[in-house]
Amino acid sequence: MNIFRYAPLAIQLAMIFIVIATAGTLLAYFSILRSRYLGYRQDKRMSYLLPKVDNLIIEEVLTNPEVTETSYSDQLILNTEGFQELPMHKKWVREAITGRIMHFRRNVRGNMGQMLRSLYMQLDLDKDTMKKMKSGKWEKKVQALTEFINMDMSISDVTILPLTNSRNRELRAAARHAYIKLSKNEPFKFFDVVTEPLLMWDQVELFRIISSTEDIAVPNFARWITYSSNKSVVSFCLKLIVHYNQLPAVPAVIKLLDTKDHYLRANAINCLGKLRVPDVEEKLVSLYSSQPLHCQIEILKALGRISSGRYIDFLKQEFLHSTDFDLRKSAAKSLVKNEWIASQVLQELIDTANPENLRILKHCMNPLIKY
Amino acid sequence: MFTGINSATMSKILLVEDDEIMPKIVARILPASEYELHHVSNGKEAFEKLDSTNYGYDLIITDIMMPYANGFEILSKVKNRERPIPVIIVSNAGNEDMIMEGFKLGADDFLKKPIIPAELLIRVKRLLMKNK
Repeated sequence: MNIFRYAPLAIQLAMIFIVIATAGTLLAYFSILRSRYLGYRQDKRMSYLLPKVDNLIIEEVLTNPEVTETSYSDQLILNTEGFQELPMHKKWVREAITGRIMHFRRNVRGNMGQMLRSLYMQLDLDKDTMKKMKSGKWEKKVQALTEFINMDMSISDVTILPLTNSRNRELRAAARHAYIKLSKNEPFKFFDVVTEPLLMWDQVELFRIISSTEDIAVPNFARWITYSSNKSVVSFCLKLIVHYNQLPAVPAVIKLLDTKDHYLRANAINCLGKLRVPDVEEKLVSLYSSQPLHCQIEILKALGRISSGRYIDFLKQEFLHSTDFDLRKSAAKSLVKNEWIASQVLQELIDTANPENLRILKHCMNPLIKY
Repeated sequence: MFTGINSATMSKILLVEDDEIMPKIVARILPASEYELHHVSNGKEAFEKLDSTNYGYDLIITDIMMPYANGFEILSKVKNRERPIPVIIVSNAGNEDMIMEGFKLGADDFLKKPIIPAELLIRVKRLLMKNK
C-alpha cells in the first residue's frame, strides 16, 4: 500500500489498470471454465437420461400392442409409470423429455405421431410450455412457440397475434409461423396488423411454412392487395396469388397497375404474367411507353408468359429498336416463347440480325439457358 | 448392428442415417426376426461397409443430407454395379428437384420425413419381394 501511495500518478494508474486487467482475465477464465463444467455436467446427465427416455418412448409408444395403425383413439391412456420413475420434478428432465418427443415427432407421423403428442400431454409437459409462453424473456417465448408448432397444440389467436408485431425479429418470425400453423380459422389474420415490413428472408420462410402446411384455410389474397397499407404485405400476397393461382384476385391486381409505387407495379405486372391473363395484354402494352425500365422489362416478360401471339410485332419492334440491352433480351425471350406462332418472324430475325442481336437470339433460343 | 436368429433367411438391410433417433425407430419397425439391420451414420462409413461386405445387402435405406458423402453419391455407387441393390431414400428434404434427382439416379422409392412406420414396412417388404 505504501508503494502505491507514494508512487507517481502515472504508476498508480498503471497499477490500477494492471489489477483490473488481471481481475478481468481471471474472471473470463473462470467464466469459461464454469460454462465448460456446466456443459460437461449437462452432457453427462443427458447421456444417462436420454437412452432411458428413448427406451420408454419406444416401449410405450412405438411398440404399444394396444394400438393398431387403424384404431388409434385420442382417449387412449398411455402407461406413463416408467416416466414417473425418472426425476420428473426437475425442470431439466422435463425439458429433455419434451425435446426428445419433438425429435421423435420429426421422424414419425400418423398414429405414432399422435401418440407422441398424447404422451406429451399426459406427462403435463404442455403446462411447462405454457409457462414459457408467459415468460418475460423473448427466447422462452420463441422456444414455447416452437414446441407448440411441433406438437400441433392449439393456442388462442389472441395470445399469438400481438407477438406477430413484436419489435424482436426472431419472436416476430416465430409468432407468424405459429399463427399460420396453429390458427384454424384465419391463419393470415396477422397480415391485418403487420406494421413492420416483411423482409425478403421473412417472406421466404413464411412462404415455406404456408406451402408446406396441410389443410390450410387459404383466403382470397386480393383482400390485402386492395386494403393493406404495408407494401411488403402486398408484394408477398402477389406471390401467394401466383402460387395458389387465384384468378378471382386478378381485378384487384389490375387495379395495382395504377399505383404510384413502380416496384409494386412491377410486382403486379409480374403476377399477371405468371397467371397468364390474356385480357390484360392490351393494357400492359398501352402503359409500356410511360413506364420505368424494370416495369417495361416485366411487361415484355409478361407478354412472353401469356404467349397469346397478338403482340409479336410489338415484341419485334422492341427487339430491333430498343437501346437498352435488357429490353432487347427480354423481347427476344418473349418472342421465343411465342414461337408457336412467331417461328417465321424468328427465322427472319435470325437471317437479318446483326452480330449482337444474333447472339441475343441464340442465347434466348438455347433451352439449357434459363436466364 | 441389430441381428436376428437365422441370418441365412433374413434380409440384410443397410441403414445410412446421421440422425440418432431414426435408427432406433427403424429397428423397431423392422422386426429383428425377419431383418438384419446394419446402421452407419454417414456416407463415408457406408462406402466402407459396402466395400467390406462386398455389397452383400438386400436393401439400402438412406438419407440424402449427410456428412462426407450424401445419399445421391451412395445411390450412384450402388446402382452402377452389375447387381444393383434396391434403395429407399428417406429424407426431410422434399423439394421436387431433389425427389426427381433421386429417381433419375435410380432410387426405387422415396419417403419424406416424418414417415408413417407402417408405410416404411410395406415398402421395404414390397421391394425385397420384387428383388427376390
